[in-house]
Amino acid sequence: MAPEQRKRLALLRDFFMARSGKDLSLACTALADWAGQILGETDWDEAEFAFNRLFVGPMALQAPPYASIYLSTDPRLMDDITLKVRRIYEMAGLESPLQGRLPDDHLGVELDAALGLSALAEDLDAEEPRALWDYFLHEHLGGWLPQFINRVRRAEANHPAVDLALDHLEAWLAHQDIH
Amino acid sequence: MSQWEKTEIEKALDCPMTRRRFMKWLTAAGVVSAMPCSFLIPRDAQAAGIVYEGGYKTFRNACPRNCYDTCSIVTYVKDGVAKFVEGAKESTFTRGGLCVKGNSYIRRLYSPDRIKYPMVQQGRGTGNWKRVSWDDALTRISEKFFEMNEKDGSMLGLAMTKYSGNFGITNYGVEGLMSSLGYTTRLVGTPCWPAGIDAQNYDMGNMWCNDPEDMVDARYVILWGVNPAWCSVHTMKYIYEARQRGAKILCIDPVLTQTAAKADEYWQLNTGEDGALALGMARHILDKGLVDQDWVAENSIGFKEFADYLKQEVTLEWASEKSGIPARRIARVAEEFATADPATIWIGYGMQRHVNGGASVRSIDALVAMTGNVGKIGGGARYGHLQTWGFNYHAMIQQPPQGAKGYLGKAAKGEFDFTKKSEGPAYTNRTLNINKTAREILDATDPPVRALWVSCKNPMNQDFDRNLLEKAFKKLELVVVVDQFFNPTVEQADIVLPVTTLFEEWTVNAGYWHYWLSLNEQAVKPLHEAKSNIEIAAALSKKMNELTPGSCTFPTNIDTKDWMAKEFNKGVYDLFGINSWKELKNGPQKAKTNLLAWGDGKFGTPSGKYEFKSDLCAEHGFNALPKYVAGRKPYDKLRLLTPHTKFGLHSQFINLDWMEEFNPRPYVYIHPETARARNIAEGDRVRVKNKTGEVTITASLTDNVPADAILMYEAWFKNTPYNCQNLVDDTSADMGGYKAGAPGVAIHDQFADLVKA
Repeated sequence: MAPEQRKRLALLRDFFMARSGKDLSLACTALADWAGQILGETDWDEAEFAFNRLFVGPMALQAPPYASIYLSTDPRLMDDITLKVRRIYEMAGLESPLQGRLPDDHLGVELDAALGLSALAEDLDAEEPRALWDYFLHEHLGGWLPQFINRVRRAEANHPAVDLALDHLEAWLAHQDIH
Repeated sequence: MSQWEKTEIEKALDCPMTRRRFMKWLTAAGVVSAMPCSFLIPRDAQAAGIVYEGGYKTFRNACPRNCYDTCSIVTYVKDGVAKFVEGAKESTFTRGGLCVKGNSYIRRLYSPDRIKYPMVQQGRGTGNWKRVSWDDALTRISEKFFEMNEKDGSMLGLAMTKYSGNFGITNYGVEGLMSSLGYTTRLVGTPCWPAGIDAQNYDMGNMWCNDPEDMVDARYVILWGVNPAWCSVHTMKYIYEARQRGAKILCIDPVLTQTAAKADEYWQLNTGEDGALALGMARHILDKGLVDQDWVAENSIGFKEFADYLKQEVTLEWASEKSGIPARRIARVAEEFATADPATIWIGYGMQRHVNGGASVRSIDALVAMTGNVGKIGGGARYGHLQTWGFNYHAMIQQPPQGAKGYLGKAAKGEFDFTKKSEGPAYTNRTLNINKTAREILDATDPPVRALWVSCKNPMNQDFDRNLLEKAFKKLELVVVVDQFFNPTVEQADIVLPVTTLFEEWTVNAGYWHYWLSLNEQAVKPLHEAKSNIEIAAALSKKMNELTPGSCTFPTNIDTKDWMAKEFNKGVYDLFGINSWKELKNGPQKAKTNLLAWGDGKFGTPSGKYEFKSDLCAEHGFNALPKYVAGRKPYDKLRLLTPHTKFGLHSQFINLDWMEEFNPRPYVYIHPETARARNIAEGDRVRVKNKTGEVTITASLTDNVPADAILMYEAWFKNTPYNCQNLVDDTSADMGGYKAGAPGVAIHDQFADLVKA
């Protein structure tokens, strides 16, 4: 992955891991800078409210940011998809410090893993990490992110900051040949 | 990627051995100089421990919901994830099976809709929520509490409303938290069963029923206003077994329930006329000389006065006219009941949710007693019991901080308040009637109720007169709600705190119907940032003491397993025949004694006998004898019934995906004749209105409900604003103030009319 795409991926991870409007503003400003875009005046409180309606709660989530919700036939958290993702991390020598509490297939965690897996694939001279990264990217991320993006786009809650992040996520996927 | 590579990866994902082989490159290939991950960490293969192949670890759990069955559960966990649940086989009551709700528990634990983090709403009801840390949330709460204490000179401005959302014993730590803050305001009482509790206390000196498992020995079973086919599925097997052994099963209910459909005979009585029906049967038994004179003479007082009352004021024809049941049927069943040995009546909670509910229960008790069926295996007037609840209430019993000021008036106690009267200053908590929550919050002064702490309860969905409650909430300066899902109460909160499910906490559970005791082990880590009620109490106490030392006495560092263990004592161990709570890891245990209510004829009444005539009842302002009391006068055209649904328990479970699949939306059930008169067809949208409020809902036509009534199930659906409490006012039932702290609510004495929307 080209270094600038890695940078973008790290900012997307930060966006989806955000805990506050401040975190969102930092991630979005950096994403806009990265792309040479000018970020219009933004109400970060509103961005946070929309972000929480979509991805955090406390209301029922409009677009749950967990792979299992999109890939399972009877979707819930912590199902076989979640455990599969946990094993992919394990195969890369990684694990979540919040294992058992934060589902391993939360989008923020997966984007963090994508950074790690792609680095292993590119920096090490071995077949296995390359195959693993390829699998994670195409068989897993590619399997649910397009649906997820679609669901966020159709959701009632919305905000330009969320759109910005989605555009970047879509562009990053396109860069990886996922449409 | 090549198909071969994909296959290899998938093999490794499926098999720990292959995975380990695959991972050899990790050590062989060296390390990446700067790993770009900021969240994930290098995996400690050693700490990860043994990898189980195919094996599940099992945990003991117990369903803590407000339900007859309080099921003993086994939870199967693999990879730290709860995979499925089943009923514990060791409990002869649960016998390896769960109900439709219990089987959905994994969907609840792992629902994406769960409340995950402490959150703060900017403007109640706006839906504008910010995620905050526990530290931040608790700081905000602490500061508000300090401000209130400063302003009022006490913590009486803080009110707690909590009831039956989680009956795990350590959850009485919510009450403990309140006590540890000082003297607070408590919403006391129960919307559930108080009129019947008092009735049984007047008659027998306690609410105490036989082990439901002995119903197999009954030769006549009357299921009176109870629907176990939905609400106590595990008891049905004993009813069926009784029938196998020759018992007759009669179901009495205004609604043709699933239980009614399974009974041998069904009586659709006029709602609220249960007392008249029981008295009519009693009169006929008297006339036929079928009274168990020996039992009555030996074990009761006041029977002569009761018999005189029956002779003077009750006839079969009168009972028939009141109840709508033909006189010959009443006569026949009265004779059958009196001659069957033993015969039993299961008195449901629905039938006492009336302005004459307590009086009706007393009439039914009398029917059982005069036929000599009290104190007999397979007999009894079964209502409920708290025989197995002799815990320490260690989490509940906390002392106020030094110098705390309280209330000087009289305080009430709820039926689950097992605290002894405390010594020392005359200060108490201020108690308000939970069944009139809205009115009480609005009326409370000096100090006003400024803050409300809600846990194990969903008042916006369950408390009466929803419109008035909305007004009451406007008066509150702070609303803290501890919950698992975004229900209508959370919607009106300032701060919401995520609470654990039964799989994520240690506790212990007893039933109020069966006699089993179940351990509830923590089976998995709490999801997201959920904490148990006692962990929340400890964390708040820590924060408050950090900010103002001595402001809260709740222990700040607690181990929830230790706290579960602290609930046990010798009395509990002796009752269940165990030496340690650890034995419950092998399975639930059943009480060894107390299974037969009043078997020794020693009653808990002032006279020590069964009291057909209760002076205490008269002292409390009711009839000394179990006389007929008329129901509430209708204030609208149709009676409105709001009983339990099959797919939920009060406001819980209905929001889960599996439930939504079978029960996607609420309906109002209308008799075809009633619908025809209003030009309403199946599937029409209708407006149900009365003096309290309005509900717009879809009509479903059925002759399961009587023509003079409409029915809608109490429920919270996450995708509709439906709330039956828009139509239920807070009129009290007759009894409940004696043992439950406040009278019950006349939930089924409500009236309404409807038109096509």
